[in-house]
This record gives sequence, structure tokens and C-alpha cells, in this order.
Amino acid sequence: MNGPLIALRNILRDGTRVISTLLIIATGLTALLVSGGFMLSTYDSLQEITMRTEGHLIVIDDTPDPLLGGSHQQLSLSNWQTIRESLWNDDRVLRVLPRARFEGVVSKGNRSAVFFGSGVDPKEEFRVHGPFLRTTAVLDPWPTSSQRAEVMLGVQLARTLDATSGDLLTLHAVRSNGESAEAVVRLVGLYQNGTPAIDNHTLMVTLSTSAALMGSDNISQLSIYLDKKEESAALQHSLQASIDGVTVQSWQQRATLYHKVKSLYDRIFGVMAVIILTVVFLAITNTISLAIYQRRSEIATLSALGTPPPQIYANFILEAFIISIAATTLGMLLAYAISHAINLAEIMMPAPPGKTEGYPIFIYISWHHYLVTSLVLIGIVILASLRSTCRAAKINIARAIS
Amino acid sequence: MTTRLSLNAISKTFGKADNQTVVLRDISFSLDAGEFLAIEGPSGSGKSTLLNICGLIDHATHGDYYLNGTPVSQLSNRGRCACRRRKIGFIFQRHQLIPAMTVYDNIAYPLQLNNVKAKQIKHDVAQLLTTMGLEHRRNHHPYQLSGGERQRVGIARALIKRPQLVIADEPSASLDHTHAQAGLQLMRELNQTYGASFLIASHDPLVINHCDRKLTLLHGFLADPV
Repeated sequence: MNGPLIALRNILRDGTRVISTLLIIATGLTALLVSGGFMLSTYDSLQEITMRTEGHLIVIDDTPDPLLGGSHQQLSLSNWQTIRESLWNDDRVLRVLPRARFEGVVSKGNRSAVFFGSGVDPKEEFRVHGPFLRTTAVLDPWPTSSQRAEVMLGVQLARTLDATSGDLLTLHAVRSNGESAEAVVRLVGLYQNGTPAIDNHTLMVTLSTSAALMGSDNISQLSIYLDKKEESAALQHSLQASIDGVTVQSWQQRATLYHKVKSLYDRIFGVMAVIILTVVFLAITNTISLAIYQRRSEIATLSALGTPPPQIYANFILEAFIISIAATTLGMLLAYAISHAINLAEIMMPAPPGKTEGYPIFIYISWHHYLVTSLVLIGIVILASLRSTCRAAKINIARAIS
Repeated sequence: MTTRLSLNAISKTFGKADNQTVVLRDISFSLDAGEFLAIEGPSGSGKSTLLNICGLIDHATHGDYYLNGTPVSQLSNRGRCACRRRKIGFIFQRHQLIPAMTVYDNIAYPLQLNNVKAKQIKHDVAQLLTTMGLEHRRNHHPYQLSGGERQRVGIARALIKRPQLVIADEPSASLDHTHAQAGLQLMRELNQTYGASFLIASHDPLVINHCDRKLTLLHGFLADPV
């Protein structure tokens, strides 16, 4: 006797009910795979944004300033050039970017606004940000050949100042020793990334301009970009051990938004998964229970012929397993097709909180995710069928046969 | 002559204390090896219940039951299942064939349960299919068979493992006279070939006259105990 063949024949006997169960399981799996794919792509985007903005590793001074209540001075990393030179010899490192943070007031004529500024290496800075920091109205490749100090503004900050490329602006700042300082800079372009905090309040100058303004060659952080993000942990440990007086942080330690969104999505997905798995559990329980009820005379006959109860249960579990394999295969195919269609359609999501721009939905198709979710679902189906088949043990043989 | 089956003061009661129905009262009889015994009686007399107890698919409320001299009344469910699998063949009133199995699979099933080798199963089933005139139906499913053919498959399934005891409940109920006679003839031939004992419940005179001996059940009592 061919067990799987008999199970298949039994499944086909209950065609309509089996099809509806199969569709419930397949639809549930499709929902889990598509929403899970969306989550995975969101996590990946947030990781990417954090890594591009902060670097895979961040080196900062580890000496807190007692006058700042334990916080660090903004420009406190002094030996950064030595550290950068030592990192250039490491094959794992692609780029090492210095960043000097400062703040003050920027003015044009009778308009002024508070700014948060960064002294950066302009060529490399925009390269590492990639699509997450778009430039507009740039006069020439920045920095231009001009000897004059230059600045790039967030688009909204430029609107606040009514400034356009080529205008002269004045930066006012207070140095760490309390002196006030100012610099006249030419606006050479604008940038935006869809985050109001950045577009409304930030500006970028070259490192030499920020050093001249703040009267210090120190920087706030060295951002290290690696060839492979998986190498972050190993390099973090070796750097931390080899360089005194600094703290080496990984991108995860700076990824506040990523962790918050991941935590939120994990909970939403968790609740959704529980609901879907419960529906699947109930659907398969219903199918197997009805099958047992309809076939109680058959079960009684098998028992009368001397079939051990575990063998009878195994028949029903095998049927549930076959249904689950068919349903998960269908669910995976549906999820693949829907994900692919959504990715091709470039459907835009509305702007999330804290952003001014929407973004195209992208659904990851991860076979690992497909496999794990399908296996969990098959497990749920087996569990539900086990629960239902326990009823078969309670069938009174004599009564069911008569 | 060896005693195949022996019942001693068997009673069967359904329901709880204040609402009890006594179906069998103090039933005692024995069945010899190779004997053909009919149990007759009107509907509701307790024939099927008695067969269920003899076939180990129901429990007696009181009394002792011996199969081949071994007490089986107190066997565990597992022990009863194993006993049915090895020693007892059933011919049901409504065939009770397994719909998902072919004729061949239905007949072969008791041998597979007893772990008989595939080659032996193939040989035995083919032989019985020929004896039963069912070889052209071997790959058909029960729903493709006539009532007579189904009953013949049911008989073949009960006899394929050469059981010591065959329990038959109204074996002619779904058959016309010709098929009933043919079925009985077949059971008798197989009885003579394999030496199985037959315990047959029926109120069909054709069946009763075909048996070596008959017992009559009336309202749960054995009218002419042996």
C-alpha cells in the first residue's frame, strides 16, 4: 500500500473543502512573505542610511569634558590624521572621512537662521551618501577652483535665507574658548534628503573652512567606511585595542532610528503573524476534524482490522502535510509574483513621520525568509492535525461501524 | 475438537445506573475450530453487540471471553488491536471497504498490517482474486463495484490472512439470492480450505440453513444455550 498515494486520494475525495483550506493557508503565507519582504527591505534601507551617514565605524574622543556635564567637546579628536593614515593601509577600509561639527547663525543681508554645520571632505562626503543626499543647483563640482570659502546648504535653509547659488553668506560661530568668529562664504549648491531636520537646519563647508572658523584643527569624528559591513565587529575590536584615548563605535550604536523602526515593525509583524497562524491553525483543525467526522466509519473499520492507532493518526497527518506542502508552494509562488509586480510597479509610499518625501515600496524576495516562514507554517499545520487526530482515538468502533 | 471461542456468562449493559439498557444477559456458548455457527434473532435482539464482543471491538460489562483458551476480556486496547490484527477476520454488513484503496489494496491490507512480505502478499491476493472472480477488478475502487462484488471483496479481505475466527454480520444483507448463495458457498469453501471458524449473525434463512449449528438470541437472552 502506498501511503502518500492513499493520502492523496483521500484529499481529492474532499476536493472543495481541501481547496478552501489550501487557499486560506496559501493566502496567509503570501501575506506573511510579502509583508516580511517589505520589512526586510525597510530594515536594509535604514541600515544603509545609517551606514552611509555615519560610516561602518566611528572614532570619537573618549575624554568627556567635566564642564559639559560628562559630554564631549564637539571638536575634541586631535590625533585623527595619524589614525587616518594608519587605517589607509588596512585592506578592509575603503574610506576614512573626518567630520567637524559646529553650530551658529548663518545670515544673508537681513535674514538669518540657526544652523548645524559640518566641516567635511566634500568630494567623498557626497559620494558616500549616494542617493540619500541629493545635490541641486551646484555651481561647479564642489569645491570649485575658487580660493574663496564655500558652503552647501540644505534646501529649506536656503529658502529661509532666500539664498541662491553664488550668493555670499556670513557664518557666525562661538569657539570653544568663548571667542566669537565669523566667515564669509559663497553658496555653491544645495542638498536635500527629505528629512526636515537636515534640509531646514544644516550646512556643509570644507574642513579647512570649518577649522578657520572654529580656530581648531580638531574634528568631532572619523567615519570609517568598509568594503564589507560584516567586518565591522572585528575591526572595531582591533582598533579599540590599538588606539588609546578614543572610543570606536559601530554603526549599530548610532542607528537609533533603525532600532526603533525595527522594534515597531517586529511587533506589528509579530501580531500579524500570530493572527495569520491562528487562522491557519483553525482552518486545518476544521478540515481534519470534518474529515475525521465524515470518515469515522472508515477509521472504525481500520481499527477493527487491527490498524494500530498511531498508524491511523499518521494517515491524517500525512494528508495535512500534503495539503501544507501544496499550500506553501502556492503561497510562495503567489508571494514571489506579487512582490515582483510591486517592485516593477514602483508604487510610492507616503512620507513617513519625520520625512517630507515618500519612497518607492520594495519587497525583498529572500529564499531564507520564504523557507523559514513556510517551515513554521507546515509545523503549525502538523500541530493542528495532531490535535484533531486525537479525536479519532475517541471513536467508538462498534457504534461507528453499525 | 479444539475450542476456538468460549463465552462464559457475558452481559452487556448500555447507559448509566438510572437509565440502563441491558442488551445481553448471561450469554454462554462455545465455538469449535472450523465450525460454522449462526446467530439468529430479530432486529434489536443483541446479535451485533454479541459479534462486536466476540470480535474484540466492544467490551462485555460482565463475564469471561476466551479465544483459543486464552482469556481476552481483560486485554488492553493495544492487546485487543493486536489480537484482531492477527486472529480475527471481519465481514461487515455494509462491506466497509476503504474508499481510497483499490480492490487489490483493500484485500492486501490485513497482510500488510501483519508485515507479510510483499512477494507473498502479491501471490496470495492474486490467488484469492482469481478464486473470487475479481481479477478483472483488481485496480478498481469500491465505488466502481456492484454490491455483490463489494461483498466478495469484503469476504476476501476477511479471509486473506487465514484468521482463526471470522465474524460475519448479516453477510447476505446487501446481496440478492444468487449472490448470497455464491457468497456463502465461497465462505464454506474457504472455511474448508483454511479451517477458520465462522460466527455469523443473520436472520436470513438461507444463511442459517447453511451453518453447522445455530443459536437464537431473544431480547438479550440465548434461547437455546449450548
